[in-house]
Amino acid sequence: MSVRGTRIPPHLQLPIAGVTPPPTEKEGQRLFPTGNFRFYRPVYRDKTPPCNNACPTGEQIQKYLDHVKHERYLDGYVTILEDNPMPSVTGRVCYHPCETACNRAAHDEPIGIRSVERFLGDYGLALPKNPIAETLPPLNGTTVAIVGSGPAGLACAYHLRRRGYPSVIFEALEKPGGMLRAGIPAWHLPEEILDAEITKLTRLGGIDIRCGVRAGQDISWEELRSYPAAFLALGQDVGRRLPVEGIEARGVMGALEFLRETGLGRPVKVGRQVLVIGGGNTASDAARSAIRLGGGEAIIASLEAASELLIVPEDLAQARDEGIAFAPNTSLVKVLSAGGQVTGAVVCDARLGQDAHGGVRPEPLPGTEREITCDTILIAIGQVQQLDWLPDHLSDRGVITADGHGRVEGNVFVGGDVMRGPSMVVDALGDGKRAARDIDRLLTAQALEPEPEPEIMPYEGLNAAYFRPAPRIEAPLTPAGERRRSQRVEVTLAYSREQAVTESDRCMSCGVCNGCDNCYIVCPDVSVMRDARENGHYAIRTTYCKGCLVCVQECPTGCLEKVPEMDFDDPADVTRMETAFAPYDGAHAEQSAFTRQLIEETIAEYDAARAAPAGDGRPAAPPNGDAG
Amino acid sequence: MYHELTVWSRGIIMDKEARDVSSCIAAAARALGYQADNVSDYVDDPDRTNCLVRRYARFGDSPIVDRFVYENPHPDWVVLVEETIIKAVNFLRGTPDRTGVVVVNSIRDPGYLLKFLPDEMRAKIAKFVVVDAVGLAEQRGRSPWMFVRNLSELALDRMSTEGAEERLAIGMGIAAPLIGALTAATGVLPLEAVADQVADEDAMMRGAARHLVVDFTAADGAAAGPAPATDRKAGQPPATYRKAGQAGQLPAIDGQAGAARQVPVTPAAHTASAG
Repeated sequence: MSVRGTRIPPHLQLPIAGVTPPPTEKEGQRLFPTGNFRFYRPVYRDKTPPCNNACPTGEQIQKYLDHVKHERYLDGYVTILEDNPMPSVTGRVCYHPCETACNRAAHDEPIGIRSVERFLGDYGLALPKNPIAETLPPLNGTTVAIVGSGPAGLACAYHLRRRGYPSVIFEALEKPGGMLRAGIPAWHLPEEILDAEITKLTRLGGIDIRCGVRAGQDISWEELRSYPAAFLALGQDVGRRLPVEGIEARGVMGALEFLRETGLGRPVKVGRQVLVIGGGNTASDAARSAIRLGGGEAIIASLEAASELLIVPEDLAQARDEGIAFAPNTSLVKVLSAGGQVTGAVVCDARLGQDAHGGVRPEPLPGTEREITCDTILIAIGQVQQLDWLPDHLSDRGVITADGHGRVEGNVFVGGDVMRGPSMVVDALGDGKRAARDIDRLLTAQALEPEPEPEIMPYEGLNAAYFRPAPRIEAPLTPAGERRRSQRVEVTLAYSREQAVTESDRCMSCGVCNGCDNCYIVCPDVSVMRDARENGHYAIRTTYCKGCLVCVQECPTGCLEKVPEMDFDDPADVTRMETAFAPYDGAHAEQSAFTRQLIEETIAEYDAARAAPAGDGRPAAPPNGDAG
Repeated sequence: MYHELTVWSRGIIMDKEARDVSSCIAAAARALGYQADNVSDYVDDPDRTNCLVRRYARFGDSPIVDRFVYENPHPDWVVLVEETIIKAVNFLRGTPDRTGVVVVNSIRDPGYLLKFLPDEMRAKIAKFVVVDAVGLAEQRGRSPWMFVRNLSELALDRMSTEGAEERLAIGMGIAAPLIGALTAATGVLPLEAVADQVADEDAMMRGAARHLVVDFTAADGAAAGPAPATDRKAGQPPATYRKAGQAGQLPAIDGQAGAARQVPVTPAAHTASAG
């Protein structure tokens, strides 16, 4: 059959590739490493879940939800304590920016993170011993001054203590807690819980809370500056005044002052017809407390339209359930009184305007005035702080000015409401945490650095097909009729253990490997290894992985990424094969070394034979040739 | 005169491109009167996605004796259709020292690519050419070829580039700039003659005009890397398949196209050739 040209030279008669053993066969991967098929390498790289990013304290929410899911409650509790000293408090009062950011909202409903946090917080409070007490370093003797024992001050003291610094907290009121006690009603945050959380902190040692010491009166700016470092977290506890006629009548008071008196357990007189002026959360809290104390009715009159109210949606719904009435787009014109006691108010329709500084300015519509009968008026139109004891250049319209690190000057930092204006408890906790870190940096002669920009996992990056729709478990509520009877009946109730586990199981673990084993299962080439764990969970066998990227496509959480193989720039980290199929290492290497030698020798012989023509101008017959 | 071209590519997704490079070069050589051979589909099994595949061409001024020997034993022209092949295989196996012209489709710096090559591979290179074939190819929209998509799309897309189109148009997509860069850098075949065989002539000319060259022969031993490794065939022409006594029958066209497209680029300073 053969014609000229069909002769196969001996060196190519040798087996080069051999038979490819399947990877699952014993030694199969070692014998035939196919890593050079790959131009993308799967890499486990965790991203920041949106909940974690949205939380001002940076709670590792995905991590503790994963712990709860697996019923490792103690691990979950310790995870929260890394960032937040008082999960029982935030588990009740936080406005949960985490749930607002939760990717699961795009899927079905956001995770009930706050309720799980509360579950873990209460679990932790019930422990006989604080689990982090043993992990604390000894005190180093550098005492930091903190003004205010609200969430910012307590968080700063806690995080300083975890870094070994003792602190002394100056609290103006007779009990610690700041706005947690004097601003948040007991039906939201029971006093026992707050007391337990504060006791838990003070028991760590090194945190000295001195009550009844008001900054500016009992301790001066100069004294504060004499400490190695100081943190100003005095909040904003002075309610704004409303300049209308008759405002000085008996029965008119600031909502903030009203909440403070009730919070501290002092007797407060509230009538049965309460008018609350304001459109924010303080107005809602004051109105709801007022109906509990006075047993009557309350109307919230706000400049904001019904859709513009600054009350968080769930509080708004609860307030409506409790029978609070709303008068949106309404402005207070005049307080009516008889014998110095409030008897009613004149209000008119109005719109919310803004002045040159962006502040609130009512725009009343003349001719719409009407009378409302009431015996108590609570003013909740914002709050400021008395800061005239500070040097002038450090304060501006009721807040302390600071740089991007919250640094006022020298080693003095500021945080919480007195820096931001009215904001969330969890904002204050975050400020305290950052201040403690930055104070530590300054005292150890390190530079203050901005926080690195996180890479946040978007919903689109998840493989949503893996998450079957599951409804959110709403936190149980006390029936409206029952809860409005007393200041001490908690409105929002806790998850049961089963509910906490079920809800945690809804977490999609955005961008963070949670060891679901999906890559391990889907890899067609057995190249995802579970015994050698990388990123806590898996390793890619790079000598064999062909870069098919099935694992990347099928990763539910999006923590697996494809990275161009050429981006791995270590020349030593290259497994180069000798031919397309025979690799250097593995059994083929042994064969290929042998094969190479034979090939080289055969070519040399062949070349030598050709280089010496037989004399007739035709090439010499090839050795062992089979041509013709 | 005798040259062996081995085109390395990846199974299924870039198979057609590799085949186009080898077949256009072989066709151009044949049209010029050379003896030429093209092996477009053998040895490496192309039906596995991403696996390394080779396509071979060889041409010279004497008849090619071993017509049914498919692998090139001494390739002096090497084209890598995908840059990661730099890391994957010894694509200079059998290449005599300082004779290899390596053309890589990449947007990376030639120095970065070269650092993955061990000394014994660098010793075989005469010219290291980097061309952004994806960028220079006719962009998606007009081109029927999918490889003008980026790698990321391709990696997740398992469609083959093999198919009915190949008979209608050979030398489109990224194959065209690769052919251009190879022809210009080697300077053996006239660009115009090769262009006659290429469907997308414009893209080929873009590749011929815009590529980076690291010339190891210009600054041998200096910035070009280590001294040539000892190879007992060093300096010898690839004589295996050359029939003695027939050289010189064809007009010497070596260097004609090369003169027009010569790119004086030293290894120390990689610059884009002006074309």
